[in-house]
Amino acid sequence: MNGRNDENLKELFEKFLDAEQAESCAEDVQKAEQILREHPAPEPDDMLIANIKAEIAMRLPAGRTYVFKQIAYKVVGIAAAVIILTAIGLRLFDKGGVEPNGGVQYASIIPTAIWESDDITAADVNLATFTVEIEQIENELLALQLGEDDGNGDSSITELEMELIEINNSDFWKG
Amino acid sequence: MTKSDDLAQIIIGCKNKDSKCFSQVVDMYASRCYGYFYRLTGNNDLSDELLSELFAKLVEKIGSYKGGSFEGWLFKIASNIFHDYLRGKQRRKKLLDVQKKQIESRITGPKQSDNEQIDKLQIQLRKLDTDTRELIMLRFYSQLSFKEIAVIRSEPIGTTLAKLHRGLKKLRELMER
Repeated sequence: MNGRNDENLKELFEKFLDAEQAESCAEDVQKAEQILREHPAPEPDDMLIANIKAEIAMRLPAGRTYVFKQIAYKVVGIAAAVIILTAIGLRLFDKGGVEPNGGVQYASIIPTAIWESDDITAADVNLATFTVEIEQIENELLALQLGEDDGNGDSSITELEMELIEINNSDFWKG
Repeated sequence: MTKSDDLAQIIIGCKNKDSKCFSQVVDMYASRCYGYFYRLTGNNDLSDELLSELFAKLVEKIGSYKGGSFEGWLFKIASNIFHDYLRGKQRRKKLLDVQKKQIESRITGPKQSDNEQIDKLQIQLRKLDTDTRELIMLRFYSQLSFKEIAVIRSEPIGTTLAKLHRGLKKLRELMER
């Protein structure tokens, strides 16, 4: 054991003892460790070392399986976390996200007859009426979503349904 | 490349489950770790068993090594293995059997030889308490600094210094009788 660490024993003992005591203690340690060096322990048997190496080699494939399992569990965990976060994100986006463009939304439900009408004046009037109707329905829907109705939710929904039926039955859709 | 760089590369290899790197670690530390176990147990068979257990643990735990003194980390495992051994009833029984055989051999009066010289140290070491013996062996075979040994033993460095000085002084007196 000649490769002993390079600590200065005397300096170390001086942190706790006076210089004279520290020197004596360091000397005690050095002399006793010299005795240990003079009486080496037996060396491990070559066969033992070979067995240990063989045992390590045998253990390693099991170690790989273990690592693979660990990686698989991590991947599954991460995938689950991503799915949950995405679901939460989409839900939040739906609630507080950007409102779709109203004009485009209206355009998609304007009857084909209005689009194809040659009577521009009549079409304009119909379009204005149609837009007002849609806006009214939209406001009522918004009020329902925000819970700003008069406390009688059923009547608001019924009223809304009536309006939708009225629109559906009117000649308005026919242009 | 320095010795510590080499060791760092070997440890990376071990973490990647390279059996050659593990073999290198065995070649580097088997002798010192065996000496540590032998001086604590005084028995070749037990030392063989504990050394095998140490390297099996090394394979198992290498992933948890996060840098710092590798020797400190390895000898901490060795120390834990020794404590586990002390706690084991079966193994304690074996130790008692070994002690019994040693007492019997002393009564029959062994001849002096090189091996007996080794045994003399072993016999005197047995006169020290387990903790002091372990501290002396940890210091001698691990080659760790007092600061590192104090960390492994979870005690102040002053306590480690005082215990080691007392133990070594006593051992020296016993050997010089």
